[in-house]
Amino acid sequence: MHYLLHHALDNAALRFPEHDAMRFGSSRLTYAELSQRSNQLAQLLHDQGIGHRDRVGVFLDKCLETPLAIYGIMKAGAAYVPLDPRSPVSRLVSIIRDCGLKGIVSQDNKAGVLRDVAAEQDILEFVVGVSAGLSDRVRSLSWSALDGFTGTSAPVVPVIDQDLAYVMYTSGSTGAPKGIMHTHFSGLSYARMSAATYDVGHADLLSNHSPLHFDMSTFDYLTGPLCGATTIIIPEAFTLFPANLAQLIEAERMTIWYSVPFALIQLLLRGAIEQRDHSALRWVLYGGEPFALNHLRALMERWPHARFSNVYGPAEVNQCTYYHIPPASEWSSDMQSVPLGVVWDNAEGLILDANDRPAAPGELGELVVRTPTMMRGYWARPELNQRAFFRRELFPDYVDTFYRTGDLVRVGENGLLEFFGRMDHQVKVRGYRVELAEIDAVLTSHPAVEEGATYVVTSTEGDRIDAAVSLRHGQRVEAAELLAYVKARVAQYAVPQRLRFVEAFPRTGTGKIDRKALQQKEW
Amino acid sequence: MDPRIALKTFIETELLGGASGAELGYAEDLLLSGLVNSLGIMRLVSFTEQRFGLQIPPEDVIIDHFQTIDALARYVEARSA
Repeated sequence: MHYLLHHALDNAALRFPEHDAMRFGSSRLTYAELSQRSNQLAQLLHDQGIGHRDRVGVFLDKCLETPLAIYGIMKAGAAYVPLDPRSPVSRLVSIIRDCGLKGIVSQDNKAGVLRDVAAEQDILEFVVGVSAGLSDRVRSLSWSALDGFTGTSAPVVPVIDQDLAYVMYTSGSTGAPKGIMHTHFSGLSYARMSAATYDVGHADLLSNHSPLHFDMSTFDYLTGPLCGATTIIIPEAFTLFPANLAQLIEAERMTIWYSVPFALIQLLLRGAIEQRDHSALRWVLYGGEPFALNHLRALMERWPHARFSNVYGPAEVNQCTYYHIPPASEWSSDMQSVPLGVVWDNAEGLILDANDRPAAPGELGELVVRTPTMMRGYWARPELNQRAFFRRELFPDYVDTFYRTGDLVRVGENGLLEFFGRMDHQVKVRGYRVELAEIDAVLTSHPAVEEGATYVVTSTEGDRIDAAVSLRHGQRVEAAELLAYVKARVAQYAVPQRLRFVEAFPRTGTGKIDRKALQQKEW
Repeated sequence: MDPRIALKTFIETELLGGASGAELGYAEDLLLSGLVNSLGIMRLVSFTEQRFGLQIPPEDVIIDHFQTIDALARYVEARSA
């Protein structure tokens, strides 16, 4: 019986030992190698004191060590916690402390940043993957330390499927990132349901476009091994160059693509894809944000052999709806956007009005979802966990728990779910989820700033975040200095591109800063 | 004139916003450390086109030509020759 995520990997290693599990550039790991090497890492972690219910960070650029790290950590009985390799030190430190990480799996080129982290008081016990010393309190072990372990089996740890498998940090509206806790059960449920929805098999080649700290990576790292498929880890530099990416899709004969629309639009506009043979692609999955219809239509015409699917679901539930998009010739003329589609099998969705009662048919409301792919909650955030779920009591003491997505939806006349925006100030910028309130809070924490507000500007080069700031009386500060202040505290993708000073903010009727007015203002 | 000077100035002042402080080397890998992001690449392409009077076709916007200032300067010179 396999009920843990790493059971799925070891099962694939039994069925397809010589098959490539992961590829990165010209290097590869077969299933037998990934299974054995992750056993070695688990033994090493065990040796370092890691066991059941611990959390271990993964601080790596895209590389073959990424799958090794996540499976090694899970085999040691712990949960893996992706750390954005582009994060400023202060954000890393706050996540390491919040989640109580004892160790981190990393690589040599991160030694400088890790030294800054290790200089903090009472933080971390060890780092794997770095040869250089970090501090007298934090042990460092190079990757070659793995060779001291046999890897014939993983340590015996009494993990059950309700235990944590991974914790993903995302933007939090108060300024502190929050950790989404997934168990082996929710992760494996997602892997199984996504494999069934897209009929993933061992002959498939998956595109790992998303970085590990982005929840879309679970398809590449969890669903792939469940099916014995091969995941192509795409180097970061390739994600900046659509022409290289188009060449890689052709060379690797990728069969399932999964990314944010932004990456696909770049491929369409700048990838010179008409010069490439992409006939192996059978599924093109996208998620994270809506896909502009004109670009989607053009891409579907370029890749007529592929089926396209709109994947929707906050990281808290992995995925909860899908819409397999019909050919553009069958689109209705009044279609404004691609529907979210239908709630997938083994999930229940409700649309609630402002009083938590089911919205009338066709009315707008918040989508709440009950599904085995749902998170356990946010790490150590009791107030947030109170608000995050809707609890339905149908019978005495019989409670169903739904995750509140915060997304406004309605069911259209065709019976499909349609997306109408957010209930709060969460936005998606090139697919990344950002709480504008988090950036506002950071801006306002600067001593010279009276008030700050951020807003999204849409452009053909992809959406960006801009900021407007009013200064305290008598204070002066340069825009570049304020931006550097923000950059040192938030994720790279959340840093505003431009900052402007205002004397006074436009206000809504209730006195709140009017972001829409900022957005529409001609500066 | 050496195209590297104009490219270096543009990347330092426009793309990095003078925020990094440290001076950029001609042979420094612009992509490895995430120094330049995807919007940055697009702006660098339009700047290079305007400054040197070139049309850069999409298939030429590749890692080999944009990894370092040296590489981009070599591309500009080859195209201008």
